[in-house]
Amino acid sequence: MAQVSAPIQAWKGHGEQLSKNEKTKDVRRQNIVAARAVADAIRTSLGPRGMDKMIQDAKEGVVITNDGATILKQMAVQHPTAKMLVELSKAQDVEAGDGTTSVVVIAGALLGAAEMLLNKGLHPQAIAEAFLQASNKSVEILREMSTSVDLNDRDVLIKNAATSLSSKVVSQNAAQLAPIAVDAVMKALDPANPDNVDLNDIRVVKKLGGTVDDTELVEGLVFTQQKVVRSAGGRSFVKDANVGLIQFCLSPPKTDIENNITIKDYQAMDRLLREERLILAKMIKQIAATGCNVLLIQKSILRDATTDMSLDYLAKAKILVVQDIEREDVEFICRTLGCEPVASLDAFTSDKLGHADMVCEEDVGGEGKIARVTGVKGKGTVSVLIRASNQLTLDEAERSLHDALCVVRSLVKEKALIPGGGAPEMELSQKLNEWGRSLPGVQSLCVKAFADALEVIPYTLAENAGLNPIEIVTELRNRHAAGEKHAGVNVRKGAISDILEENVLQPLLVNTSAVRLSTEAVMLILKIDDMVLSR
Amino acid sequence: MADREGMMPQILSEEASEDKGDTARMQTFVGALAIGDLIKTTLGPKGMDKILTPLPGEGSHLSKTTITNDGATILKFIYVDNPAAKILVDISKTQDTMCGDGTTSVVVLAAELLREAEHLVSQRIHPQVICQGFREALEIARKTLDTIAFDHSSDTDAFREDLLKIAKTTLSSKLLTHEKEHFAKLAVDAVLRLKGSGNLDLIQVLKKPGGTLHDSFLEEGFILEKRIGVGQPKRMEDCKIMVANTPMDTDKIKIYGARVKVESFEAVQAVEAAEKDKMKRKVDKILAHGCNVFINRQLIYNYPDQLFKQAGVMAIEHSDFDGMERLAAVLGADIVSTFDNPDKTKLGHCKTIHEMMIGEDKVIQFSGCEKGESCTIVLRGASTHVLDEAERSLHDALAVLSQTVKETRVVWGGGSAEMAMANAVDELARTVEGKKSLAIEAFAKALRQIPTIILDNGGYDSAEIVGQLRALHTRGQTTKGIDIRNGTVGDMKDLGVLESHKSKLSQICAAAEGAEMIVRVDDVIRCAPRRREGV
Repeated sequence: MAQVSAPIQAWKGHGEQLSKNEKTKDVRRQNIVAARAVADAIRTSLGPRGMDKMIQDAKEGVVITNDGATILKQMAVQHPTAKMLVELSKAQDVEAGDGTTSVVVIAGALLGAAEMLLNKGLHPQAIAEAFLQASNKSVEILREMSTSVDLNDRDVLIKNAATSLSSKVVSQNAAQLAPIAVDAVMKALDPANPDNVDLNDIRVVKKLGGTVDDTELVEGLVFTQQKVVRSAGGRSFVKDANVGLIQFCLSPPKTDIENNITIKDYQAMDRLLREERLILAKMIKQIAATGCNVLLIQKSILRDATTDMSLDYLAKAKILVVQDIEREDVEFICRTLGCEPVASLDAFTSDKLGHADMVCEEDVGGEGKIARVTGVKGKGTVSVLIRASNQLTLDEAERSLHDALCVVRSLVKEKALIPGGGAPEMELSQKLNEWGRSLPGVQSLCVKAFADALEVIPYTLAENAGLNPIEIVTELRNRHAAGEKHAGVNVRKGAISDILEENVLQPLLVNTSAVRLSTEAVMLILKIDDMVLSR
Repeated sequence: MADREGMMPQILSEEASEDKGDTARMQTFVGALAIGDLIKTTLGPKGMDKILTPLPGEGSHLSKTTITNDGATILKFIYVDNPAAKILVDISKTQDTMCGDGTTSVVVLAAELLREAEHLVSQRIHPQVICQGFREALEIARKTLDTIAFDHSSDTDAFREDLLKIAKTTLSSKLLTHEKEHFAKLAVDAVLRLKGSGNLDLIQVLKKPGGTLHDSFLEEGFILEKRIGVGQPKRMEDCKIMVANTPMDTDKIKIYGARVKVESFEAVQAVEAAEKDKMKRKVDKILAHGCNVFINRQLIYNYPDQLFKQAGVMAIEHSDFDGMERLAAVLGADIVSTFDNPDKTKLGHCKTIHEMMIGEDKVIQFSGCEKGESCTIVLRGASTHVLDEAERSLHDALAVLSQTVKETRVVWGGGSAEMAMANAVDELARTVEGKKSLAIEAFAKALRQIPTIILDNGGYDSAEIVGQLRALHTRGQTTKGIDIRNGTVGDMKDLGVLESHKSKLSQICAAAEGAEMIVRVDDVIRCAPRRREGV
């Protein structure tokens, strides 16, 4: 009965006893292998010539994307360190919105470098420390090589957004989407708070049909889910509209406490019907009296927001109705239209109305219609309507646009630019190598490994473009050594050129946060020496 | 009767088991040592982290992967099926609630004491003698600790400096070690705001993915992750805040089947109006308190929301329960559910409430609160793993600091205290007669294991350095300890490695007590598992 070895096995798991040193080495190696596997999986989607991935989820849905964060989100990874890389990409998405693939690729390369250093017998903590220093130094170097940007310079901003879009499925439409992204962010920019933009102020709605070319920026509102109610023969467009947003229901009264209406005879029934009509008519009359001619009605779960009868009355009063407005959207709508939501009929007065030049229903081909509100008074909000011919492209276009919006936002956050095309990484690699030589002992070794690992970006760019990566990287190294700071891989020409001249630019924040975040994740992975089953 | 010797009468119930004497002792020792060995590698600034993975299958989707270096957390989550190991886990938990830090050290020390005890038992020394020896040794160790402790509480600046050093020492063994300067300052600032009250509830830690650890910051006041109602003022000065927990749809009669019977729609409408009126009266009552901010734990429906808006009151709905209580405490408000006694209800106060942006989200900040002590530490980091571990580390630092503010004595860290104690205990061993001296000597050896393990984790020559330290301490240089960066002997005064006296004291006491308890065990009885009814 003496189960001496049982408690040990309880958490050693497989019953295989390894000596401590062997085990920690084993765990660490496994972690690194798992994390690198993730990095390798998405490596091929880096850069303008990167390929897309098709992911089939458990529910048989298919996603085609090139966005690192999305790929990783969809990949159901099991291993804990692999999961960390997924998180890493998410964090980059939150922070900079772009570079979600690069950050994971860099982390993978850094782990490779760390593995090599570990095999030399260095202490993981020493490596972690040196990597941190290298990353801090990198941020410094990147700052130095960046150029500051003026937010009023629309062309530069558009170029930036275009760089981000050029690696996406929708790259053919970059010329179209980039200005939309820039204009949207500029509209949403609050002059009182010039260092950040709340992307929630930009409402991106998508509607199947048409092509990506039809995507447009709408200064106002677009409803795709909510429809203009036509069932009662109401109007489908209103010029010079006074828009009211109501949160109460245009239907026969309903109490929160349960109620029964007792009907004794037919007369009583007739009376009831008459009363219902009367009540509704009164409500509509009051609404119409305020001059309101467009009515947005919030969705109601507990009771019908409208009835056929009330819609009929509204149509007669020449009021256009859009119903099923979600409660979350109310704030956005109010800010856009400059109206106020009204929760009870008696509070419905004309000062609560918002104004729009035009409210209309539009046929967008195929099935479905959209409602569009334009010429609004509100400030600081904007809508983007995305169109595409199929659901997959539509979703991908939305993701790409989000990335482009984020790119512009990162410029708002940190107003500096840096060339793309692997130029900054190569420059970093060179400078860090130089700096590493001035450091003592182990640090120098680690910094050198860190510097070499960064070359993975130009290498992968070249590889994905079908160029000879070794040739390109070595030449690039030469050019940088000769002082051509901005030389990078020109994927379109398949050669090396000055990236600044090619106008391939990206925000500084994308690069700095990629280096910093990936270093942080690598440090965390390096520190792990054991895996324990827990409850 | 003849085979009486061969037949044991069954005393225990069928599934229960008993282990006696050496078997029992071995079982307890092995269990405890296994726990000690498991978390030994996390000790010290060069300690490693562990991944805790939930067992696949049962509830793995509920609990998630954790990466940690915190002894208490590791022990809390692992499967333990050994009575002695459970004792160690308990010791660690106690240390966590008492001091918040030193959870690893206490277990490692206890395990080392047991390792020595096992050795002694095998030399046929009676467990009780060992216990006596340990007790005497502990007495001396405590006295030594008291003599080497010192106190700067009278001098504010020096004390703050001490606190900073303590925080740095605590953090240096955690994930935050690379940013320890930054976090030590955050922690000290937060704790000093408490003005000695030590109520850690007033320090709120908010985790937001994105950014790097260095972007973490301290905000005075309280942060609530909610939105302000539509159209209400987004900024409020000199706020009088009512914190409530009340339904804001309708006050319903909670009797099943309660209903009204009416005969016409107009009557229904009248009831509806009455319900509305009731709500309005409720809102009026609330407003009668003279508050200009209303925070409700439950939803606030459209109608009351509008009424609040009309009154120019900021209404925040659906704040979670935990945050609610803390908020009430911070603002000095009661949580109200009835509104009939305006003069008896305590409203909360704060200077300003406004929206601020962290990462991608908007949050509401309350600053200049009633309780000036309150503050919020916003943690940023690459992934939720990083954030979770950062929170745990910060909690440790905060706990230690708040303890130190109360009990202001401090001792030098870096293994110097252990070495000093070990030397004093050794001294004692030489004067004690009999077998006890062996046990006392063993105690000293176990104490010396702490610096040894710290050095081993760093990959340094522990025997050499501990030897040097021992010689130095014998010569009276009690401030000498481990310089972990260089792997040499260093002066803790110069390196600024400080630890709380209380934490250290409770470490050795708890470890000795736990070890003693386990040494005295000579019989392990496992009870039969309780039967479920009806199986």
